[in-house]
Amino acid sequence: MGLDNMSNDNPLVIRLTELEAEALAAVAEAGDSEALERVRVTYLGRKDGRISAILRQLGEIDPSDRRAVGAEANRVKETLTGALEVRSAQVSQETDFDVEAADLTMPGRETWAGGAHPVNQVVDEIWQIFRGMGFTRARGPEADTEWYNFEALNTPLDHPAADEQDTLYLKDSVLLRSHTSPVQIRTMEKHDPPIRILAPGMVYRRDTYDATHTPAFAQIEGLVVDEGITFVDFKATLAEFARRFWGADTKIRLRPSFFPFTEPSAEVDVKRLITLKDGSRVESDWIEIMGAGMVDPAVLENVGYDSERYTGFAFGMGPARMALLKYGVPDLRLFFENDIRFLGQFARGVGS
Amino acid sequence: MNGSYRWLCDLMPGTSLSVDEIVERLALRGAPVESRASLGAGLEDIVVARVESVRKHPDADRLSICQVEAGEGPVQIVCGAPVIHEGAYYPFAGPGVTIPAGFTLERRKIRGEYSNGMLCSEKELDLGRDQSGIMRLEGEFTPGQSLIEVLNLDDHRLDIEVESNRGDLLSHMGIARELASEGIRGVELPPIPDGTVIQAELVTDPDGVEVGGVSIRIEDPDLCYRYLGAVIRGVSIGPSPEWLVNRLRAVGAQPINNVVDATNYVLLEMGQPLHAFDLGELRDSSVVVRRATDGERMTTLDDVERALDADMLMICDASHPIAIGGVMGGSASEVSDSTSDVLLECALFNPKSIRKTRTALGMSTDASYRFERGVDPEGLVPALMRAVEIILATAGGSLDGPVLDVCPRAWERQTVPLRMSRVERILGIPFEVDQVASLLDPLGLVTEKQETGDLVVTVPGFRSYDVTREIDLIEEIARTYGYDAFPEELGAARPSAVPDHPLFQLEDALREDLVALGLLEASNPAFAREGEGDVELVNPVSREEAWLRWDLLPGLMRNVEYNFARGARSVRLFEMGTVFRGAGVDNPPVEETRLAVVLTGLERPPHWEGDDTPVDVWTLKGIVATVLPSACAAGATMAPLEGADRFIAEGTGFTLLSADGETIGRAGRARDGLVDAPAWASPVWCAELTLPAEPESRSAVEYRPIHQHPGVERDLALLLPASVTAASARSTIQRAGGELLTNVRIFDLYRGEGILDGTRSVAYRLYLQAGDRTLTDEEADDVVRRVVQALREELGVEQRV
Repeated sequence: MGLDNMSNDNPLVIRLTELEAEALAAVAEAGDSEALERVRVTYLGRKDGRISAILRQLGEIDPSDRRAVGAEANRVKETLTGALEVRSAQVSQETDFDVEAADLTMPGRETWAGGAHPVNQVVDEIWQIFRGMGFTRARGPEADTEWYNFEALNTPLDHPAADEQDTLYLKDSVLLRSHTSPVQIRTMEKHDPPIRILAPGMVYRRDTYDATHTPAFAQIEGLVVDEGITFVDFKATLAEFARRFWGADTKIRLRPSFFPFTEPSAEVDVKRLITLKDGSRVESDWIEIMGAGMVDPAVLENVGYDSERYTGFAFGMGPARMALLKYGVPDLRLFFENDIRFLGQFARGVGS
Repeated sequence: MNGSYRWLCDLMPGTSLSVDEIVERLALRGAPVESRASLGAGLEDIVVARVESVRKHPDADRLSICQVEAGEGPVQIVCGAPVIHEGAYYPFAGPGVTIPAGFTLERRKIRGEYSNGMLCSEKELDLGRDQSGIMRLEGEFTPGQSLIEVLNLDDHRLDIEVESNRGDLLSHMGIARELASEGIRGVELPPIPDGTVIQAELVTDPDGVEVGGVSIRIEDPDLCYRYLGAVIRGVSIGPSPEWLVNRLRAVGAQPINNVVDATNYVLLEMGQPLHAFDLGELRDSSVVVRRATDGERMTTLDDVERALDADMLMICDASHPIAIGGVMGGSASEVSDSTSDVLLECALFNPKSIRKTRTALGMSTDASYRFERGVDPEGLVPALMRAVEIILATAGGSLDGPVLDVCPRAWERQTVPLRMSRVERILGIPFEVDQVASLLDPLGLVTEKQETGDLVVTVPGFRSYDVTREIDLIEEIARTYGYDAFPEELGAARPSAVPDHPLFQLEDALREDLVALGLLEASNPAFAREGEGDVELVNPVSREEAWLRWDLLPGLMRNVEYNFARGARSVRLFEMGTVFRGAGVDNPPVEETRLAVVLTGLERPPHWEGDDTPVDVWTLKGIVATVLPSACAAGATMAPLEGADRFIAEGTGFTLLSADGETIGRAGRARDGLVDAPAWASPVWCAELTLPAEPESRSAVEYRPIHQHPGVERDLALLLPASVTAASARSTIQRAGGELLTNVRIFDLYRGEGILDGTRSVAYRLYLQAGDRTLTDEEADDVVRRVVQALREELGVEQRV
């Protein structure tokens, strides 16, 4: 610190500080390389440079001040050299980039656009809605047993209800799950209520490929089990979901239906407001978007829950079908072709 | 099931509903109409014509010239039908009329004679399959009358979706019970034209009955609960009258003859399958209901010889099977034109046995479909008597003696208790007991109030299959009350006790990373070809999809080919999905969730300044290095792969290792031949790795202080012989550098002039910094000296000077 105090008093140090400010201003003002070279010569030129001159005088000054003045002179020289370099780079770029001739409508450098699969985007959207209602996600195997896929879900194999999904078998009693409902059983086996889960996953059925069928497809299961869960909670939760997903002005209709593992059972239909090209809005037909119902007491008993104490509801929906409706995709097979011209439409970024 | 709008209306005389109202009401009752069709659609311009005269075409053997009267004076037509009756009535399409077969008629000359329209066949009018000749209309008509009117085609066919628990809805009567305003009390069977209602007289026995030489015996009461037989003698087999034919056609059924049509009519109306045997063909005029013996064979009505086994219930005569019980009759005892005596069967079979039998035989019939889903045990006698009435009215003959009734299992209605507290617990709103009674009553569910304030409900036969428990009654309450009438009040809820599965969270994070890196997410079904998996499907859809995949890469490679074939040069895809591996005969296969990546083409989208660098190993390595730490717990590494593997070309790849050194994946250039690539395609780079089944949650970031004192950079150019990898030199630098060395970065690679062959110069930039002071040049030089010494001693590596 003593050194600093001393050097501040020295007229040469003060002079150097002044020169630094002056030189830096000149650098900033210089518009081309010739101007910059003039600045360099003025301050750092070997013969007449003003800072060089001070450095040359070092031998003549009081030895007690010499070190401080020398250090300051060197610092200013370094600073100025650096500033000249930076400014020189800027100036040369400005010169390359001919402002007069530049056509700024030429495209910029893009990066490849990335995007989640459109069906997974719908899965995620659904998940975000249910997450906001206190749900968590559960998963289970895709290859499962008849017990989990049918029997534990109150679907005896000798009942016609077991035919409704044409199941792909791997061997005796082992199959590819035909719905995500086995995750209901596996989750309840491991956990006690309150259960509020969403189980997205792939399911398999013996369907041939056409516009509305693929033998593998995504499904999302939902299950809520706790004390005091009623048909009113069931209806309200699904209606809330439908409005959040399809829009606040969506109409919702529950229709009686049959699933062996729920009772009462329902199909959920929505009627959407669709905006046409001319801006007018029309109501769609009723569109079936999920199967659902109050969990059948037999299912609760199968996992050892007391069905007098606990009640609940379950639902299942097909995100691929929802993606079809949401994006106006005409054919489910497009979701498996993985044509980048298709996937790119659902990507973010420029280079798609 | 197909329903006729007019038939339904006839069954509910007190209810008046439009087609639209029926569609709406059925949707809200759980039996939605999948599709509907107006029966007369396309026939609006077809009229009835009378043929006045017929003569041979002078210039063509097979053609006739007819004068027909279609209401506007006689016109001439040329007709190719082999048989045309003078004075008979036929459907007629005049010039300008488009017929359902798809063409529009015009006046034209055929072999020199004018033809002004045509007489139509069933096939041409889309009314049936018969194209053997033109469609003769039975009866007297006014020429020019609309065909729709004549054939009663002002009807609608409704395709009604019936759930598998509601076998009672597989008939017009069942549907009408749901639709009629007063419920079951609003349903009434319409009278049969020329019919006389016949009261049933039964001779009943649990084992067997014989009446007037005809005998019926049940040997397996577990599979057949009841078997009724009515003997009608002296019938004359012939076509059914128009009203009956029209009813069948309205729902798409083909008329066959008056006796068979009567049984089909009753099946469609009341849901009870019936079968008519030619009594003369039954040995000893006897019927024995028993299991088949193994190896027994029988030819069914569809002329297929069926191999039978002891699990199948057969209807037999004294020695041979004559029908597969509840599934299909046999051809030998089929009613034919020469039949005069008929045994009419009306039975109730075990639903599970029917299902087993028809599954084993690979068939499903109208009868088996209904028996599987449950036929009304109380409906047998009324259905049989209605069929008898129709046969007597349409085929003549007389009922011979009382009906034989073998009934090993007498029917008894079941009762189900219903607690009002439980109703509210499930449905969420309170109901009054009288209100519940009035909701259940129209369904035929008979309620009886208990002193406790609860109910006991007696279930009628037609609902005995799906209403057996309290919850089944609660569903009926909700259904009749109307799902729409329930409020939508979102109540408070406890959050889930189930933790959010960490693998979903990992997938989310990886998806986000890869999308940010400019990759598109692909999705392939988990099926594979032979050789790409070891878990085989028992009943695959196709050979190409008969196995479950071992890996994701083959699917992604095919996606690359698909895009190459469409001219795409730059393809960047990733997929996350399940793969399978067999785990022995007794276990389901083992599953893994994988992540795979494929890259080909340009590093960046082409730009007009022309930076056309293709994707290379460094792009791939960079992407894998980005996702690897999140995909696996910390410490995962990439080691150069020795040789090639199934997917990776030799010398281009990496093995991905977990922190414990376990192989978790691979990365590198796709082997030649793996992708069918056009000549212009650049190499395909790929990676696949296994994600942990239960990923540990990511460890929280631990803050490191940011050094405030300036650091120093020192560059080291090292001459590395082929035997020394850049990574090993780097780890030596790191170890020797000690605490002051905060980072090492490789910034250049040079081979060529001035460097010994087989050696390369790799430039490292060392960042040196101390947390508590400004590093001096001397300290920095010290570190570099230590590093250089260690490199020399440990690796024999020298600095490039």
